[in-house]
Amino acid sequence: MPVIKVNNRDVHIQELNKGAAETVLLVHGMFSNLSVYYFNIAPVLAAHFHVVMYDLKSHGMSERVLDGYDLNSMTDDLHALMDVLNLDKVHLAGYSFGGLIALKMAMRFPQRLRKLVIIEAPDPSDARTRGIIEEYSREFLEHYVANFTDTTKVKMGKRQMERNHRMYEYLFYQTSIKNDMILESGFFKETEINAVKKHTLLLYGASSNCLQAGKQLNKMIHKSDLIPLDGDHNIPIQEPVMIAEIVSGFFKN
Amino acid sequence: MDTIVKTSKLNNEEIFGLMKQFITEVIGEEFVEEMDITPQSSFTKDLEMDSIEIVSFSEKIKAHFGEQIDFTGWLSAMDLDQLINLNLEMIINYIQECQSSK
Repeated sequence: MPVIKVNNRDVHIQELNKGAAETVLLVHGMFSNLSVYYFNIAPVLAAHFHVVMYDLKSHGMSERVLDGYDLNSMTDDLHALMDVLNLDKVHLAGYSFGGLIALKMAMRFPQRLRKLVIIEAPDPSDARTRGIIEEYSREFLEHYVANFTDTTKVKMGKRQMERNHRMYEYLFYQTSIKNDMILESGFFKETEINAVKKHTLLLYGASSNCLQAGKQLNKMIHKSDLIPLDGDHNIPIQEPVMIAEIVSGFFKN
Repeated sequence: MDTIVKTSKLNNEEIFGLMKQFITEVIGEEFVEEMDITPQSSFTKDLEMDSIEIVSFSEKIKAHFGEQIDFTGWLSAMDLDQLINLNLEMIINYIQECQSSK
Protein backbone atom coordinates (compact mmCIF):
# COMPACT_ATOMS: atom_id res chain seq x y z
CA MET A 1 0.00 0.00 0.00
CA PRO A 2 1.79 3.17 -1.08
CA VAL A 3 1.91 5.52 1.86
CA ILE A 4 4.37 8.38 1.45
CA LYS A 5 5.57 11.12 3.78
CA VAL A 6 4.51 14.66 2.87
CA ASN A 7 5.53 17.34 5.38
CA ASN A 8 6.21 14.51 7.80
CA ARG A 9 2.69 13.10 7.57
CA ASP A 10 1.51 9.82 6.05
CA VAL A 11 -0.39 10.26 2.80
CA HIS A 12 -1.96 7.32 0.99
CA ILE A 13 -1.55 7.56 -2.77
CA GLN A 14 -2.31 5.36 -5.76
CA GLU A 15 -0.72 5.72 -9.17
CA LEU A 16 -1.44 4.18 -12.56
CA ASN A 17 0.58 4.21 -15.79
CA LYS A 18 3.66 5.87 -14.31
CA GLY A 19 5.52 6.11 -17.60
CA ALA A 20 3.07 8.42 -19.38
CA ALA A 21 4.14 11.89 -20.51
CA GLU A 22 1.43 13.91 -18.76
CA THR A 23 -0.05 13.50 -15.30
CA VAL A 24 -3.64 13.77 -14.15
CA LEU A 25 -4.08 14.41 -10.44
CA LEU A 26 -7.45 13.58 -8.87
CA VAL A 27 -8.82 15.11 -5.65
CA HIS A 28 -11.74 13.46 -3.84
CA GLY A 29 -14.42 15.12 -1.71
CA MET A 30 -15.12 15.55 1.99
CA PHE A 31 -15.86 12.33 3.96
CA SER A 32 -14.89 10.31 0.89
CA ASN A 33 -11.57 8.86 -0.30
CA LEU A 34 -9.63 8.00 -3.44
CA SER A 35 -11.78 4.94 -4.12
CA VAL A 36 -14.28 7.30 -5.79
CA TYR A 37 -11.80 7.32 -8.70
CA TYR A 38 -9.88 4.06 -8.28
CA PHE A 39 -12.25 1.52 -9.79
CA ASN A 40 -13.66 3.12 -12.94
CA ILE A 41 -12.46 6.66 -13.57
CA ALA A 42 -8.71 6.31 -13.01
CA PRO A 43 -8.29 3.23 -15.28
CA VAL A 44 -9.94 5.07 -18.21
CA LEU A 45 -7.68 8.11 -17.71
CA ALA A 46 -4.67 5.79 -17.34
CA ALA A 47 -5.05 4.66 -20.95
CA HIS A 48 -3.29 7.94 -21.83
CA PHE A 49 -2.12 9.62 -18.66
CA HIS A 50 -0.09 8.98 -15.57
CA VAL A 51 -2.83 9.10 -12.91
CA VAL A 52 -2.23 10.09 -9.29
CA MET A 53 -4.91 9.79 -6.60
CA TYR A 54 -4.42 10.62 -2.92
CA ASP A 55 -6.44 10.52 0.29
CA LEU A 56 -6.94 13.92 1.93
CA LYS A 57 -5.81 14.23 5.55
CA SER A 58 -7.94 12.18 8.00
CA HIS A 59 -9.68 10.56 5.02
CA GLY A 60 -9.26 7.06 3.61
CA MET A 61 -5.90 5.73 4.71
CA SER A 62 -4.07 9.00 5.20
CA GLU A 63 -2.94 10.17 8.62
CA ARG A 64 -5.36 11.89 10.95
CA VAL A 65 -4.61 15.56 11.43
CA LEU A 66 -6.33 17.95 13.84
CA ASP A 67 -6.28 21.15 11.81
CA GLY A 68 -5.71 22.80 8.47
CA TYR A 69 -8.91 22.07 6.52
CA ASP A 70 -9.19 25.53 5.00
CA LEU A 71 -8.50 25.79 1.29
CA ASN A 72 -5.10 27.41 1.81
CA SER A 73 -3.87 24.53 3.94
CA MET A 74 -5.45 21.92 1.66
CA THR A 75 -3.69 23.44 -1.37
CA ASP A 76 -0.41 23.71 0.58
CA ASP A 77 -0.76 19.96 1.16
CA LEU A 78 -1.38 19.24 -2.52
CA HIS A 79 1.46 21.51 -3.61
CA ALA A 80 3.82 19.68 -1.24
CA LEU A 81 2.58 16.31 -2.52
CA MET A 82 3.40 17.38 -6.10
CA ASP A 83 6.90 18.34 -4.99
CA VAL A 84 7.48 15.01 -3.26
CA LEU A 85 6.30 13.14 -6.38
CA ASN A 86 8.37 15.42 -8.66
CA LEU A 87 5.31 16.52 -10.58
CA ASP A 88 6.11 19.80 -12.22
CA LYS A 89 2.82 20.38 -14.03
CA VAL A 90 -0.41 18.39 -13.90
CA HIS A 91 -3.93 18.30 -15.22
CA LEU A 92 -6.06 18.66 -12.11
CA ALA A 93 -9.57 17.37 -11.42
CA GLY A 94 -11.49 17.61 -8.16
CA TYR A 95 -14.90 16.43 -7.05
CA SER A 96 -17.14 18.29 -4.56
CA PHE A 97 -14.88 19.74 -1.80
CA GLY A 98 -11.99 18.44 -3.94
CA GLY A 99 -13.29 20.69 -6.73
CA LEU A 100 -12.85 23.69 -4.42
CA ILE A 101 -9.31 22.55 -3.66
CA ALA A 102 -8.63 22.24 -7.42
CA LEU A 103 -9.98 25.74 -8.04
CA LYS A 104 -7.89 27.17 -5.21
CA MET A 105 -4.81 25.51 -6.76
CA ALA A 106 -5.54 27.35 -10.02
CA MET A 107 -5.75 30.61 -8.06
CA ARG A 108 -2.55 30.07 -6.09
CA PHE A 109 -0.26 27.93 -8.25
CA PRO A 110 -1.34 28.37 -11.89
CA GLN A 111 2.20 27.66 -13.11
CA ARG A 112 1.91 24.10 -11.77
CA LEU A 113 -1.32 23.30 -13.65
CA ARG A 114 -2.22 22.47 -17.22
CA LYS A 115 -6.02 22.22 -17.40
CA LEU A 116 -8.65 22.16 -14.71
CA VAL A 117 -11.79 20.06 -14.20
CA ILE A 118 -14.21 20.94 -11.42
CA ILE A 119 -16.90 18.35 -10.71
CA GLU A 120 -19.85 19.30 -8.52
CA ALA A 121 -17.99 21.82 -6.35
CA PRO A 122 -20.51 23.46 -3.98
CA ASP A 123 -20.70 27.12 -3.04
CA PRO A 124 -19.44 27.08 0.58
CA SER A 125 -21.85 29.90 1.47
CA ASP A 126 -24.83 27.70 0.54
CA ALA A 127 -26.83 26.98 3.68
CA ARG A 128 -27.31 23.35 2.68
CA THR A 129 -23.56 22.81 2.48
CA ARG A 130 -23.04 24.40 5.87
CA GLY A 131 -26.09 22.67 7.32
CA ILE A 132 -24.49 19.30 6.81
CA ILE A 133 -21.49 20.38 8.80
CA GLU A 134 -23.38 22.05 11.63
CA GLU A 135 -26.02 19.45 12.23
CA TYR A 136 -23.96 16.35 12.22
CA SER A 137 -24.99 13.58 14.56
CA ARG A 138 -25.19 9.83 14.50
CA GLU A 139 -28.84 10.19 13.45
CA PHE A 140 -27.79 12.46 10.67
CA LEU A 141 -25.41 9.84 9.32
CA GLU A 142 -28.02 7.10 9.51
CA HIS A 143 -30.61 9.31 7.87
CA TYR A 144 -28.14 10.45 5.26
CA VAL A 145 -27.10 6.91 4.42
CA ALA A 146 -30.69 5.72 4.28
CA ASN A 147 -31.98 8.55 2.13
CA PHE A 148 -29.25 9.99 0.02
CA THR A 149 -26.77 7.28 -0.77
CA ASP A 150 -29.49 5.23 -2.48
CA THR A 151 -28.70 7.03 -5.72
CA THR A 152 -25.32 5.32 -5.54
CA LYS A 153 -26.96 1.96 -4.73
CA VAL A 154 -24.40 1.26 -2.03
CA LYS A 155 -25.82 0.29 1.33
CA MET A 156 -23.61 0.36 4.36
CA GLY A 157 -23.34 -2.61 6.66
CA LYS A 158 -22.91 -2.33 10.42
CA ARG A 159 -19.12 -2.43 10.49
CA GLN A 160 -18.91 0.08 7.63
CA MET A 161 -21.37 2.33 9.44
CA GLU A 162 -19.20 2.17 12.56
CA ARG A 163 -16.06 2.97 10.60
CA ASN A 164 -17.71 5.91 8.88
CA HIS A 165 -19.25 7.10 12.11
CA ARG A 166 -15.84 7.11 13.79
CA MET A 167 -14.38 9.11 10.92
CA TYR A 168 -17.24 11.64 10.92
CA GLU A 169 -17.04 11.98 14.69
CA TYR A 170 -13.32 12.54 14.58
CA LEU A 171 -13.59 15.10 11.79
CA PHE A 172 -16.55 16.94 13.31
CA TYR A 173 -15.67 17.03 16.97
CA GLN A 174 -11.91 16.83 17.15
CA THR A 175 -10.60 18.60 14.10
CA SER A 176 -11.02 22.20 12.99
CA ILE A 177 -12.89 21.19 9.80
CA LYS A 178 -16.19 22.78 10.90
CA ASN A 179 -14.71 26.19 11.63
CA ASP A 180 -12.37 26.04 8.68
CA MET A 181 -15.34 25.47 6.37
CA ILE A 182 -17.40 28.26 7.90
CA LEU A 183 -14.46 30.61 7.34
CA GLU A 184 -14.57 29.69 3.65
CA SER A 185 -18.17 30.92 3.17
CA GLY A 186 -16.94 33.92 1.19
CA PHE A 187 -14.84 31.83 -1.21
CA PHE A 188 -17.02 32.43 -4.30
CA LYS A 189 -16.68 36.18 -3.72
CA GLU A 190 -12.90 36.13 -3.93
CA THR A 191 -11.82 38.20 -6.91
CA GLU A 192 -8.93 35.82 -7.67
CA ILE A 193 -11.51 33.42 -9.14
CA ASN A 194 -12.13 35.95 -11.92
CA ALA A 195 -8.41 35.98 -12.61
CA VAL A 196 -8.20 32.21 -13.26
CA LYS A 197 -6.90 31.83 -16.82
CA LYS A 198 -6.82 28.06 -17.00
CA HIS A 199 -9.03 26.30 -19.47
CA THR A 200 -11.67 24.90 -17.09
CA LEU A 201 -14.34 22.27 -17.51
CA LEU A 202 -17.25 22.36 -15.05
CA LEU A 203 -19.18 19.10 -14.73
CA TYR A 204 -22.42 19.21 -12.75
CA GLY A 205 -25.45 17.01 -12.34
CA ALA A 206 -28.48 18.56 -14.05
CA SER A 207 -30.61 17.72 -11.00
CA SER A 208 -27.94 18.51 -8.42
CA ASN A 209 -28.32 21.08 -5.63
CA CYS A 210 -24.90 22.32 -6.66
CA LEU A 211 -25.77 23.16 -10.29
CA GLN A 212 -26.26 26.81 -9.33
CA ALA A 213 -22.68 26.89 -8.04
CA GLY A 214 -21.53 25.56 -11.40
CA LYS A 215 -23.38 28.34 -13.21
CA GLN A 216 -21.78 30.91 -10.93
CA LEU A 217 -18.28 29.55 -11.60
CA ASN A 218 -19.03 29.47 -15.32
CA LYS A 219 -19.69 33.21 -15.22
CA MET A 220 -16.60 33.94 -13.15
CA ILE A 221 -13.98 31.77 -14.84
CA HIS A 222 -13.14 33.31 -18.16
CA LYS A 223 -12.25 30.19 -20.16
CA SER A 224 -14.76 27.77 -18.71
CA ASP A 225 -17.38 25.44 -20.13
CA LEU A 226 -20.24 24.08 -18.05
CA ILE A 227 -21.67 20.69 -18.98
CA PRO A 228 -24.77 19.65 -17.04
CA LEU A 229 -24.97 15.85 -17.02
CA ASP A 230 -27.85 13.54 -16.35
CA GLY A 231 -27.62 12.91 -12.60
CA ASP A 232 -27.27 14.56 -9.19
CA HIS A 233 -24.36 15.33 -6.87
CA ASN A 234 -23.26 11.69 -7.07
CA ILE A 235 -22.56 11.71 -10.83
CA PRO A 236 -18.98 10.35 -10.55
CA ILE A 237 -20.44 7.29 -8.82
CA GLN A 238 -23.53 7.08 -11.02
CA GLU A 239 -21.77 7.64 -14.36
CA PRO A 240 -18.06 7.01 -13.79
CA VAL A 241 -17.19 5.93 -17.33
CA MET A 242 -18.99 8.87 -18.91
CA ILE A 243 -17.23 11.29 -16.55
CA ALA A 244 -13.87 9.63 -17.20
CA GLU A 245 -14.28 9.84 -20.98
CA ILE A 246 -15.32 13.49 -20.91
CA VAL A 247 -12.42 14.39 -18.59
CA SER A 248 -9.96 12.37 -20.65
CA GLY A 249 -11.11 14.01 -23.90
CA PHE A 250 -10.84 17.47 -22.37
CA PHE A 251 -7.30 16.88 -21.08
CA LYS A 252 -6.18 15.34 -24.38
CA ASN A 253 -7.19 18.24 -26.61
CA MET B 1 6.36 -7.77 0.82
CA ASP B 2 4.51 -10.45 -1.07
CA THR B 3 6.56 -12.43 -3.51
CA ILE B 4 5.45 -12.59 -7.10
CA VAL B 5 4.60 -16.15 -8.05
CA LYS B 6 6.00 -16.86 -11.46
CA THR B 7 6.37 -20.58 -11.83
CA SER B 8 3.69 -22.47 -9.92
CA LYS B 9 0.07 -22.14 -10.87
CA LEU B 10 -2.29 -22.02 -7.95
CA ASN B 11 -5.39 -24.18 -7.76
CA ASN B 12 -8.78 -22.83 -6.69
CA GLU B 13 -8.29 -23.76 -3.07
CA GLU B 14 -4.90 -22.08 -2.89
CA ILE B 15 -6.25 -18.90 -4.48
CA PHE B 16 -9.19 -18.96 -2.05
CA GLY B 17 -6.76 -19.32 0.87
CA LEU B 18 -4.78 -16.37 -0.39
CA MET B 19 -7.93 -14.24 -0.73
CA LYS B 20 -8.88 -15.07 2.86
CA GLN B 21 -5.41 -14.07 4.02
CA PHE B 22 -5.65 -10.73 2.18
CA ILE B 23 -9.15 -10.05 3.55
CA THR B 24 -7.91 -10.78 7.07
CA GLU B 25 -5.01 -8.38 6.59
CA VAL B 26 -7.36 -5.66 5.36
CA ILE B 27 -10.25 -5.85 7.83
CA GLY B 28 -8.57 -7.47 10.82
CA GLU B 29 -8.78 -10.88 12.41
CA GLU B 30 -11.47 -10.00 14.95
CA PHE B 31 -13.99 -9.31 12.19
CA VAL B 32 -12.98 -12.28 10.05
CA GLU B 33 -13.50 -14.65 13.00
CA GLU B 34 -17.17 -13.68 13.14
CA MET B 35 -17.68 -14.38 9.45
CA ASP B 36 -17.98 -17.52 7.44
CA ILE B 37 -16.00 -16.67 4.33
CA THR B 38 -16.89 -18.83 1.35
CA PRO B 39 -16.17 -18.48 -2.39
CA GLN B 40 -19.72 -17.10 -2.68
CA SER B 41 -19.13 -14.31 -0.15
CA SER B 42 -19.60 -10.91 -1.74
CA PHE B 43 -17.25 -8.14 -0.73
CA THR B 44 -19.83 -5.44 -0.13
CA LYS B 45 -22.81 -7.33 1.25
CA ASP B 46 -21.40 -10.37 3.04
CA LEU B 47 -17.97 -9.14 4.06
CA GLU B 48 -19.16 -5.56 4.52
CA MET B 49 -16.01 -4.18 3.01
CA ASP B 50 -16.16 -0.57 1.98
CA SER B 51 -14.55 0.75 -1.15
CA ILE B 52 -11.27 1.91 0.40
CA GLU B 53 -10.86 -1.60 1.88
CA ILE B 54 -11.49 -3.11 -1.54
CA VAL B 55 -8.76 -0.79 -2.85
CA SER B 56 -6.34 -2.26 -0.25
CA PHE B 57 -7.42 -5.77 -1.17
CA SER B 58 -6.91 -5.05 -4.90
CA GLU B 59 -3.43 -3.71 -4.22
CA LYS B 60 -2.55 -6.94 -2.42
CA ILE B 61 -3.76 -9.01 -5.37
CA LYS B 62 -1.74 -6.83 -7.75
CA ALA B 63 1.38 -7.03 -5.59
CA HIS B 64 1.10 -10.81 -5.39
CA PHE B 65 0.36 -11.67 -9.01
CA GLY B 66 2.22 -8.79 -10.61
CA GLU B 67 1.92 -8.65 -14.37
CA GLN B 68 0.31 -12.06 -14.62
CA ILE B 69 -3.06 -10.35 -14.27
CA ASP B 70 -4.55 -6.94 -15.04
CA PHE B 71 -6.72 -6.71 -11.97
CA THR B 72 -7.46 -2.97 -12.15
CA GLY B 73 -8.34 -3.30 -15.82
CA TRP B 74 -10.65 -6.22 -15.07
CA LEU B 75 -12.40 -4.32 -12.25
CA SER B 76 -12.76 -1.17 -14.35
CA ALA B 77 -14.91 -3.03 -16.87
CA MET B 78 -17.52 -3.56 -14.14
CA ASP B 79 -20.38 -1.21 -13.45
CA LEU B 80 -21.51 -0.35 -9.93
CA ASP B 81 -23.98 -3.27 -9.70
CA GLN B 82 -21.31 -5.73 -10.73
CA LEU B 83 -18.83 -4.27 -8.25
CA ILE B 84 -21.38 -4.51 -5.45
CA ASN B 85 -22.07 -8.14 -6.31
CA LEU B 86 -18.42 -9.06 -6.78
CA ASN B 87 -17.60 -12.24 -4.88
CA LEU B 88 -14.49 -14.31 -4.25
CA GLU B 89 -15.39 -16.96 -6.80
CA MET B 90 -15.39 -14.40 -9.62
CA ILE B 91 -11.86 -13.35 -8.72
CA ILE B 92 -10.71 -16.97 -8.38
CA ASN B 93 -12.09 -17.71 -11.86
CA TYR B 94 -10.47 -14.61 -13.29
CA ILE B 95 -7.06 -15.51 -11.83
CA GLN B 96 -7.44 -19.09 -13.13
CA GLU B 97 -8.20 -17.77 -16.61
CA CYS B 98 -5.12 -15.58 -16.57
CA GLN B 99 -2.96 -18.47 -15.32
CA SER B 100 -4.17 -20.88 -17.97
CA SER B 101 -3.71 -18.40 -20.80
CA LYS B 102 -0.04 -17.89 -19.93
